[in-house]
Amino acid sequence: MSSKKESVARTLTVALLVCLVCSVVVSAAAVALKPVQTTNRLQDKQRNILQIAGLYDESRSIEEQFSQITPRLVDLRTGEFSDAQDPLTFDQQKASKDPDMSQQLTGEQDIASIRRRADYSTVYVVENTDGSIKTLILPIHGYGLWSTLYGFMALESDLQTVVGLGFYQHAETPGLGGEVDNPNWKAQWQGKVVYDESGDVDISVVKGSVDPNSPKAEHQVDGLAGATLTSRGVESLVRFWLGEDGFGPFLDHLRAGEA
Amino acid sequence: MGLRSFLDKIEHNFEKGGKHEKWYALYEAIDTFFYRPGSVTKTTAHVRDGLDLKRMMITVWLCTFPVIFYGMYNIGFQANTIYAGNPDLLAAQDNWRLALIALFAGFDPASLWDNLIHGAAYFLPVYAVTFLVGGFWEVVFASIRKHEVNEGFFVTSILFALIVPPSIPLWQVALGISFGVVIGKEVFGGTGKNFLNPALTGRAFLFFAYPAQMSGDAVWTAVDGFAGATALSMAASGGIEQVVGSGLTWLNAFYGNMQGSMGEVSTLAIFIGGAVLLMTKIANWRIVAGVMLGMIATSLLFNGIGSDTNPMFGVPWYWHMVIGGFAFGMIFMATDPVSASMTNTGKWIFGALIGLMVILIRVVNPAFPEGMMLAILFANLFAPLIDHFVVQANIKRRLARNVQ
Amino acid sequence: MAKATARQVLFEPIFSNNPIALQILGICSALAVTTSLSVTLVMCIALTSVTALSNFFISIVRNQIPSSIRMIVQMVIIASLVIVVDQVLKAYAYSISKQLSVFVGLIITNCIVMGRAEAFAMQNPPHMSFLDGVGNGLGYSFILICVAVVRELLGAGKLFGIEILPVVNAGGWYQPNGLLLLPPSAFFIIGLIIWGLRSWKKDQVEEAEFKMAPQSRAMKEAM
Repeated sequence: MSSKKESVARTLTVALLVCLVCSVVVSAAAVALKPVQTTNRLQDKQRNILQIAGLYDESRSIEEQFSQITPRLVDLRTGEFSDAQDPLTFDQQKASKDPDMSQQLTGEQDIASIRRRADYSTVYVVENTDGSIKTLILPIHGYGLWSTLYGFMALESDLQTVVGLGFYQHAETPGLGGEVDNPNWKAQWQGKVVYDESGDVDISVVKGSVDPNSPKAEHQVDGLAGATLTSRGVESLVRFWLGEDGFGPFLDHLRAGEA
Repeated sequence: MGLRSFLDKIEHNFEKGGKHEKWYALYEAIDTFFYRPGSVTKTTAHVRDGLDLKRMMITVWLCTFPVIFYGMYNIGFQANTIYAGNPDLLAAQDNWRLALIALFAGFDPASLWDNLIHGAAYFLPVYAVTFLVGGFWEVVFASIRKHEVNEGFFVTSILFALIVPPSIPLWQVALGISFGVVIGKEVFGGTGKNFLNPALTGRAFLFFAYPAQMSGDAVWTAVDGFAGATALSMAASGGIEQVVGSGLTWLNAFYGNMQGSMGEVSTLAIFIGGAVLLMTKIANWRIVAGVMLGMIATSLLFNGIGSDTNPMFGVPWYWHMVIGGFAFGMIFMATDPVSASMTNTGKWIFGALIGLMVILIRVVNPAFPEGMMLAILFANLFAPLIDHFVVQANIKRRLARNVQ
Repeated sequence: MAKATARQVLFEPIFSNNPIALQILGICSALAVTTSLSVTLVMCIALTSVTALSNFFISIVRNQIPSSIRMIVQMVIIASLVIVVDQVLKAYAYSISKQLSVFVGLIITNCIVMGRAEAFAMQNPPHMSFLDGVGNGLGYSFILICVAVVRELLGAGKLFGIEILPVVNAGGWYQPNGLLLLPPSAFFIIGLIIWGLRSWKKDQVEEAEFKMAPQSRAMKEAM
């Protein structure tokens, strides 16, 4: 080892050069690939939404399919559409942690165990040709057994019949709570009615299987075998997001035709 | 002595150089099952005691008999009671066992015979599969490693069969005991070197691999299409009030008239076997006392803290003792001499750790209503560490005494 | 190390000197990413390319690096490569990179990469270092793919997401083994692979820390 190689000046030069080269390479890669990544992220979310709304068709491009869906921002405090944020870029997950952008929930309100609820939420609307709502897709989340489940729930134009429900992010036990991803279980939600005649939320995930002859059958979904707490979590989060502190006021406005 | 002379006659075939040398382990197992081993300690440290490993294991095996018979009776009683209340369900069952039962007995819950046969039709196949599959692995490893088949397997197999739910599919039994014997014991070098209880390891494997068959409400009764919650899961959802509300009194739970694994239901039957084990000093009383005290202290603590949302907080210790696998685990599992602590102080700590963990898991963990299995395995992991500190403390104390 | 041929450098790490099975390095990602085969493959490719390229670049500059900042220079090169790989995956394999989440980034801390850089690339010319990186990457991949095949096939009844064993919940006969979907199961599988490998290649068995005294007739005879 020559002492020249170990000199301070030499050390600094090598360090500087390595840093320079590496940072150029890294930033070049990041900048060059950014556009592709952004589209990917967007398309991934759009695919989730399409799948839950039952509109996804693998043979067609996501972009084309998503063009029939309009993202709209809802102010959850007033229950009305709002333009305060850009519905495309608004990040509800981040906002629910920001004290300026969200509200603390009291223990009684917080049946979905999410602690804070963001003030705004982006909903997705599929419109008929005459501009009326065909399908409404609501983002929902809440705590299961081990993790927060993030998903969407799609409602028909009557705003009480379920088109689909699904979660795109969770960490429940595979084989038990993880069965929320089971297509057979998700298919059960289709056609369920989430409000009773008087307009109160009425949907439950029952233990075992639903008795099809019971008058309540259209308000009930089979529980997940061996996953009582995840089932209960799903029930609570659906109830929360359809209720007073979730999208309840917004849905009321829509029904009255004035959102 | 026809058998003795026959065994002696064929022995040379299995010794080194004989034509069946590979099968020595199997020969030895059969030989020593019937007779006392020929090899005894000859050096200075000769303990004069009638108790050897084999006799000890066979005593444990015999001590499980009250549990086995009560377990079989209870499976039959629970199933027949359901059938009596709902005859359609009986007709709807599609199960080879029922045809078998019908050959020997009826389906009357009041008849001791009917219940026992019904239970036997569930328990015996499970036990047979456990014994054959587990025994197969024992012989394979004994043959390869050229040592004798260990009688410890008698105990492992019966304990494993007793802690699975009656409705378990037999292929899962085979898989569970294979995992328990191979991963829980043989990979570490066989009996004496395993730090986990093999029967519990096998059950833990099944618990995580096939949760739908090992937990929940539908598995504890030998009736297809019937969900009977265990006392523990009822307590978890509504506290002890719900258990009592369902018609289960403490005395009933103590006798074991409830749903559960085959062997765990009757605390009374377990204590009868346990009394023999404690009297013969096969089960160490320090471990049992440690578990008991740890459990009582922890549940009293939780009773004191209380909780509005979690009804398990309020379950008193005498209920904890009779529901779930607590009693069975305390008597038969925690006292396993291989995987427990070796030192006397260590045994107290080991037992108390189990008692603490079982209540912690039962009360605080939302996912697993039963904590005994996990508590014992957890304490098994800590046993060598506990011993280490006990020994170190002892060495320090003695050193201090000698320095004047 | 004696002069090794390219062939040895490339293939030794697969069975004889496997980074996971013999050196027990890089276990963390082996637990996390092996639930599905396609994710595992991408992870293996990512790790192999990082190891190979970092070896290559570090070997090129090995004579210029002052020993006082040796480790830091290696880290910077490895980290940059990992970031680039992560960015590429996010751009061209988005759904898989989402499942890999943080584990691509954690290649930086994977001991195999750093270990090979320090142990091999610092002393050997670039092309050999490159091959050594590829070889060790292959050794890592070999174990991970074995684990992933077992876990996905028996845990979910699928391979590459295509159903092989029809599972009960979807009307088939196969009851999937839920334990295999949980990370600890990879420990068991890796353990069994190591067991098998060491029964095959006895020289990999570690020396016992103590000897047991013979206890019985049979054992005495066996000894």
